[in-house]
Amino acid sequence: MSVLSVRDYSLDYLTRAGSQRVLQDVTLSIAPGEVLGLVGESGSGKTSLAWAIMRHLPRNARESEGQIGLGDTDLRAATAKALETIRGRRMSMVFQDPSTALNPTLSIGRQVSEVLVRHRGLDEKEAWAAATEALAHVELRDPAALMKRYPHEASGGEKQRVVIATAFACRPELIVFDEPTTALDVITGARILDLFARLRAETGVAALYISHDLALVSRVADRVAILERGRIVEEAPADRIFRSPTHDYTRRLVAAVPRPEHRLVSDMPTPEPLLSAENIAVRYHRKRPATADLRIDLKRGEILGVVGESGSGKSSLARALTGLADYSGTITLAGRRIAHMDRSYRRAVQIVFQHPDSSLNPRHTVAELLARPLKLYGGDIKSIPQLLTDVQLPAGYVSRYPHQLSGGEKQRVAIARAFAAKPQLVICDEITAPLDVSVQASVVELLLRLRATHGTSYLFITHDLNLVQQVAHRIAVMKGGEIVDLLGIDELRAGQGHPYTRELLAAAPPPVG
Amino acid sequence: MSLAWLLRRLLTVLYTLLVVSIVVFGLTQILPADAAVTLLGENATPAALAAVRAKLGLNDPAWLQYWHWLSALLQGDFGTSMRTSQPVGPAMFTALGRSLLLGFSSLALMLVLAVPLGMWAALKRGTAADLVSSLISYLGVSLPEFVTATLLLIVVADRFQLLPATGYVAPSEDLGDSIRHLILPVMTVSLILIAHVSRMVRSETIDVLNSDYVRAARLKGLSPRTVLLRHVLRNALLPTITIVALDVGYLLGGIIVVEEIFAIPGIGRALIVAITSRDLPSIQAGAMIMAATYAIANTLADIAYVLIDRRIRYE
Amino acid sequence: MSDALHRLTRTPQGMLGLGLLAVLVLACLLGSLVAPYSPEAMDFAGRFAAPGVKHWFGADQLGRDVLSRLLVGARSTVPLAVLATFSGAAVGACIGTLSAYLGGRWDEAITRTIDAVMAVPHLLLALILVSTLGKGSTNAALAIAISVAPSLARVTRSVALAARQQDYVKAAIARGEGGAWIVLREMLPNVAAPVIIEATIRVAFAVMLFATLSFLGLGAQPPESEWGLMVSEARRYMHQAPWVIVAPALAIAVTAICFNLLGDGLRDALNPRDER
Repeated sequence: MSVLSVRDYSLDYLTRAGSQRVLQDVTLSIAPGEVLGLVGESGSGKTSLAWAIMRHLPRNARESEGQIGLGDTDLRAATAKALETIRGRRMSMVFQDPSTALNPTLSIGRQVSEVLVRHRGLDEKEAWAAATEALAHVELRDPAALMKRYPHEASGGEKQRVVIATAFACRPELIVFDEPTTALDVITGARILDLFARLRAETGVAALYISHDLALVSRVADRVAILERGRIVEEAPADRIFRSPTHDYTRRLVAAVPRPEHRLVSDMPTPEPLLSAENIAVRYHRKRPATADLRIDLKRGEILGVVGESGSGKSSLARALTGLADYSGTITLAGRRIAHMDRSYRRAVQIVFQHPDSSLNPRHTVAELLARPLKLYGGDIKSIPQLLTDVQLPAGYVSRYPHQLSGGEKQRVAIARAFAAKPQLVICDEITAPLDVSVQASVVELLLRLRATHGTSYLFITHDLNLVQQVAHRIAVMKGGEIVDLLGIDELRAGQGHPYTRELLAAAPPPVG
Repeated sequence: MSLAWLLRRLLTVLYTLLVVSIVVFGLTQILPADAAVTLLGENATPAALAAVRAKLGLNDPAWLQYWHWLSALLQGDFGTSMRTSQPVGPAMFTALGRSLLLGFSSLALMLVLAVPLGMWAALKRGTAADLVSSLISYLGVSLPEFVTATLLLIVVADRFQLLPATGYVAPSEDLGDSIRHLILPVMTVSLILIAHVSRMVRSETIDVLNSDYVRAARLKGLSPRTVLLRHVLRNALLPTITIVALDVGYLLGGIIVVEEIFAIPGIGRALIVAITSRDLPSIQAGAMIMAATYAIANTLADIAYVLIDRRIRYE
Repeated sequence: MSDALHRLTRTPQGMLGLGLLAVLVLACLLGSLVAPYSPEAMDFAGRFAAPGVKHWFGADQLGRDVLSRLLVGARSTVPLAVLATFSGAAVGACIGTLSAYLGGRWDEAITRTIDAVMAVPHLLLALILVSTLGKGSTNAALAIAISVAPSLARVTRSVALAARQQDYVKAAIARGEGGAWIVLREMLPNVAAPVIIEATIRVAFAVMLFATLSFLGLGAQPPESEWGLMVSEARRYMHQAPWVIVAPALAIAVTAICFNLLGDGLRDALNPRDER
């Protein structure tokens, strides 16, 4: 008897444009104690499936056929009243972003204990004690004090542990995890996964683990199902999916997953120095400095990876180098000391931001966006279609607005805008983070092709350690506003470097298989 | 909430009153009225006028007059009415008492109706009931007080003779009669506020209903009632506090019109009388008192917000 | 712009608002031409005539045709309120932009002062201004413009500050664009939409405030057929002829509803997102 069984399940959303199919004949089952990984890119319908299982569909959802069963309970036939006794007790859910999943105006203790009051019939006092114990069980320090605190007084990792403690509180048969580590830093996320592994072994819970990250899922799950535009195209044991994917789509996904051992850059940079920055300190108002005395240098054609967790000062470094933040220290470009950021420096050093939605002015057309650097730094407006072709976009996109483009296309426009200046250095600030894996792979490929043509250097800021090992010549590791490590890719692979660097690497192991 | 925060909030109130005093004094100074003429009448002799001007300090430069006025104000002296030759302060505060009765009753009625109405519309969003309530609120925010008041008078007081049309009876005099006289003014003042605030409550509630934490609460198996009362209500009402406080400004404006129409001797009516008779000290006093009321209401709202929302204790 | 207009017609509020606006514009332009009577033509035999074939909306205490007065009165009510709001909004938008652009202590000082001025209720501010400047439509419009400016300044400032934080502004700075380009071409188009929306909704308030001033005897003066004034004049006769009050009252309400609907419709139409 499986814990969860979904059979021939189809789902549509009614939109103004008509009915839109999001899930098509989905069939899957999870045995007791088993973890099924569900992998799909954005828009694949993976989250809709989670809502369907939890029986929490939006109003415009129409279920056409199929069954969803929890044990021997038919969930589709369950009444609202019956669902209240099932949710939280027999099945529960862990969400992507713990900072929005907790009510900001209720104490943490209240939010954990209310489940126990509801489902285990405890009174307030017993529930409080049991909840404190539950928090201790997810390795939270000083649970009694944490119970009285409010969500904004806890860190992201602590909050996700609270959500997990709540999900496990009533010993459910099934837990649905919806990208539980995506909103967290690498090391914090890795510890959450360790916790999940331990709790799983202790409780024997069955789980549906939803993620966009095939590499991660293949380590967490026993079996993996691949969802493409509402259909499950392949299902296989986790260790097999990487080694021998059968479906085309899966093959493409597997190929797109960054593998650190698979280098995408084979050449070495020229010995000619391009940029050097010394004693760079960025200080925002009053607060302690965001970075302290950073020192980096780049050669022509070099790709320098910068990794670190959020708040480590990566972005402050980018801001200093582009004149977006006040800094002290010296910057030298091609042997010329930069006293103030003049036009030629700004032309030579371009930046591409993480979110193209924000970095492309929504009220400018693609043509207007690309015309600016040409006008500022001297260029020919007629080259705009060529710029688009260079980033593999149709030249006809010139009259489009950003909201008429997909996420990957927008990022290509942003890259085209940077290259319109004929730069010597492009700072890429987490530019692949908001993109799907396959899109991410093609954007990286594009960057490398542009570099091959123009000999550009990159300062490649990312939190993805596997990706950075594929492309960077050297890697700077940042923590707490300092560069704790700056080493060549070979030294990194040889296991050298600062203990923190090794900890980061351990938190992001390469995909199995 | 720290003491420094409270002090800073208090400083803001003082700054507000300072700016208001400059605005009010400045505006009333450029009034074409000659205070001496107002006092003595058109037929006064030039000598008498000159004497009065000297006595009132009207020949002093504006800043000096402002300074005299402000320092008297700080000692609680609002000056002497040019119309009645009585001290302005006591008259204004008596009138304020009556206006506060009207104002608080309207606020109370508004809160009692607007909050449940807005939440109900949010829960029923997309249905016919929601559409009807949103149409009604469109109408509500589009009716100026003098229109509402006049229509109510025609229907309730004139056609059906259900309630007295105008006048004011103090609660201490005859509570029942006092309430009967208050009903129409309170309905008039609160209608537009009910419409506005219920729309705000509706949209805030919809935001909260769509939030992850409310989804999480539902998926914990909590009953709809618990979700609504424990998780939705507080978060939806927090922003409403600020909106209500800002609406106090609108309420004060409404009170001016309504007191005029229903012949309630409150501060609004006193202001209209003062403006039509160009009684400078009364205009200045009335405007200062109204602005102070608004500033105090907003400060109280800020304090309430901080007490309820644990997130912004510092700042 | 035609694109936004097209999208405006696709929302129910926008459609209804545009329809009402068309009626108002027609009344302002052609009101005196299509009015069945002269708005000042008195007819003592026909005093307080009930609505009927001869007088669709009835006749007032002097036997004047209410419908004709309404149609002609549109021109004394609506254009002034619109003009007053948008000129006040323009001043407010400039102050708000300036405040956001200067930032720091200047921003703090300007914001606090705006907040302080807003402590004086709009109506009271307008009353004091009108009594200072003298009764009449022009002065009432000026008073409305002045009372609209602070709230628009506040809205503009917060929108401009939000736009300032966007990466496209950072990209422009990093590119080395000048201040004028950043403010006029990067920020302004994104700030304009919310400001236009807010100003449109403010027109509804302005119509109501203008009518209220006229009602209190400080705005339009007799024998103008401004709607607030019509209500005021008819109040004494509400026993005999309630329709003389109801008709202009509804006209005011419908005008205010029109601009409220337009504002809400624009909010959806001017948002450049969710199109695909």
